[in-house]
Amino acid sequence: MSSTYVETPIVVARHRENVAVNGEIIRHRRATRLIHWSVALTFFLALITGMPIWTPIFRWMAALVGGLEVARIIHPYAGVLFFLVSVLQFFHWLGDMHFRADEKGSWRPSKLMAYMRYEDTMPEGGKYNPGQKVFFWAVTLGAVGFLLTGIVMWFPLQFPPIVREIAILLHDITFICFFIAIVFHIYLGTAAEPGTFRSMVRGTVSRPWARLHHPGWLKEIDKE
Amino acid sequence: MVAQTLEIKSSSASMWGTTTGIRTLPTVSKYIDTSTCIGCKACEAACQEWNDLKRVPTSQTGSYQTMPELDAEFWNLIKFREHDTADGLAWLMRKDQCMHCAEPGCLAACPAPGAIVQYANGIVDVNPEACIGCGYCATGCPFDVPKFHPKTSKMAKCTLCVDRVEVGLEPACIKACPTGCLNFGTKEDMVALGNLRVKQLKENGFKDAVLYDPPGVGGTSVVTVLKFNDPGWYGLPANPHVPIGVRVWKQILRPVGVIAAFLSIFAVFSHYTKYGPKEPALPVRDEENGAPPQRVEGGKVL
Repeated sequence: MSSTYVETPIVVARHRENVAVNGEIIRHRRATRLIHWSVALTFFLALITGMPIWTPIFRWMAALVGGLEVARIIHPYAGVLFFLVSVLQFFHWLGDMHFRADEKGSWRPSKLMAYMRYEDTMPEGGKYNPGQKVFFWAVTLGAVGFLLTGIVMWFPLQFPPIVREIAILLHDITFICFFIAIVFHIYLGTAAEPGTFRSMVRGTVSRPWARLHHPGWLKEIDKE
Repeated sequence: MVAQTLEIKSSSASMWGTTTGIRTLPTVSKYIDTSTCIGCKACEAACQEWNDLKRVPTSQTGSYQTMPELDAEFWNLIKFREHDTADGLAWLMRKDQCMHCAEPGCLAACPAPGAIVQYANGIVDVNPEACIGCGYCATGCPFDVPKFHPKTSKMAKCTLCVDRVEVGLEPACIKACPTGCLNFGTKEDMVALGNLRVKQLKENGFKDAVLYDPPGVGGTSVVTVLKFNDPGWYGLPANPHVPIGVRVWKQILRPVGVIAAFLSIFAVFSHYTKYGPKEPALPVRDEENGAPPQRVEGGKVL
């Protein structure tokens, strides 16, 4: 008997997305998920090797990689890797991340706060809502900021002291903003919006999840 | 435990040093009188010998100076400068090395615990074992002293011969000086000696003579007698201080950032306790009226 190729959601999600399979909807194909986790892992590698250099309060993180001197060696390379996969992610997602005409101004803090209060003030979004687009552009800006200031900090003696001082300050400010954004990103992707984490690991979401979070996207899928 | 004569007053990236409070050590200081320096470079040779530093290639800089600036393997450099004055050419020589600031910028900027220490006697020293070679100290130093070894990426600089001072000897450079323009003792004594020499110079026509002990870095454990009251002529910064960027970074941005990071984690817990998860609700049967099931999502009845 010949084996049968079963088109289960996880199988279809290897290569296709934005389609409904067996009552589930495929949100992120495998390439998207792999890119996302590459960015996440390189970011956290840079984080646990960078934070102990930032302040001794986080010195314990250095133990995870074998000490501060090891952290100092790994950090710049982890940072470069993070930047490279961020570039890949940027072009991978760019098409979906343009703000539509009716989303103008949705990036405002007041709008984002209203979103956090679960108030229904955002326009009926497509696949990504304005908050996700804001996060995308913030990550892009942050990755560039980390790289430029990081290069100065990696080769400090090639730059005049004032440039080094500014680079250190901007690297820190970028990190502080990034850290806060990541805390909210992880929270929204797990505890606050159940079902979201599955979209980034298995690639699929349920129909009620799609209707609640991305009704416009669901309508497009059902049209096809 | 470190030798009791080497109690550590402050240590990089650490809350405090190892001072017990039992002993009170006087701050030590070098004394450099640029007006009697003859540029013989005996101090350079003595420094290389005592510290077992390799012979470093010299380079032509257009003067008698051995090389353009300090090096990871050359910690003591006589800087030769020329300046036109109303009374003719001033040929200036100054011994350049770590200034051993009372408020060291290198130590403030250093992220590696214990890599830069300040002993109770004021000497600022590097512990290569803890140094991670990041280069922050070079950014923190207003005198451009810390230099990196290209092979090891470790910072190296004048130790004020801490290994000699610890056992009651004077630093090698001071021992070698043939004119007495270098001296070593307590900071108090060296400042007194400097003031005396400044007074002598003033009486002998150098009205602007001054003792260089910059207050911007809390004073230094190297006091320098200058014939002319323009440190720039000697290649010294007029008013050195820990760079403002380093102070903002360590004293403002770092604590604010740590607090903001923890607050953001608290904020999401607080959010969850107030709003809970945003999820599609299960169908609710309106039992009383026997009405068909309703779907309630995100606070809305559909």
